[in-house]
Amino acid sequence: MTRALAAISIVALLGACAPVAPYQRGYLARPDMALEASAGTAKALEKTYGSKEAASGSATVGGGGCGCN
Amino acid sequence: MRLPTAILAASVFISHPVLAVEAGQAAPSIAAPRLGEAQPLVAIADLRGQVVYVDFWASWCVPCRISMPALDALYRKHRDRGFVVVGVNKDVEAADAQRFLTRVPVSFPLLGDSADRVARAFEVKAMPSGYLIDRGGTVRQVHRGFTAQTAASLEEEVERLLKESR
Repeated sequence: MTRALAAISIVALLGACAPVAPYQRGYLARPDMALEASAGTAKALEKTYGSKEAASGSATVGGGGCGCN
Repeated sequence: MRLPTAILAASVFISHPVLAVEAGQAAPSIAAPRLGEAQPLVAIADLRGQVVYVDFWASWCVPCRISMPALDALYRKHRDRGFVVVGVNKDVEAADAQRFLTRVPVSFPLLGDSADRVARAFEVKAMPSGYLIDRGGTVRQVHRGFTAQTAASLEEEVERLLKESR
């Protein structure tokens, strides 16, 4: 009984995770949804980190969260 | 089957009830207001008798920068023969759509869809998505994404559908 209740509550919580449809990506394209507040600052920090750690090029391609294809 | 497994299995089916509109199906009967207006509603079914291309676009959709001018050119070329493009906007902010349109002006009718009713009726899977509907109201071609190749094949398809009688 307890396990059944646990299972039901887990499934109910899973329902809270709504998928974003392709046509709703305007919400993801908002500036406040970006992973970095400022692309320029993020780039500068990345460059500093790369040179200090002798790990230039360790970061992947910049950007993210724009919601475009 | 044990109860938790059954619940999990059921949730998979409950969350995906709608199937996408594909070629060969009847176009969904749906109406929406013009972009930036609340009334009156424009019904896609009222355009029956014409060849209709329903295009879902947004300012944040990068390929739409290519598709919108291409569709406008196609519309201007064939509108006198009974071809119409209907652009359904999917922007969250109306101002974003207007800013896009000042940069990429188009002459075909645009509809607003802030409640996602049209997009849900078509179950849009990609941006941009275009549905080419023949004079009888049947979806004949679905284009997901947009490249120069899409523009070329769309031109041929429109030409072919315009030659068909009802």
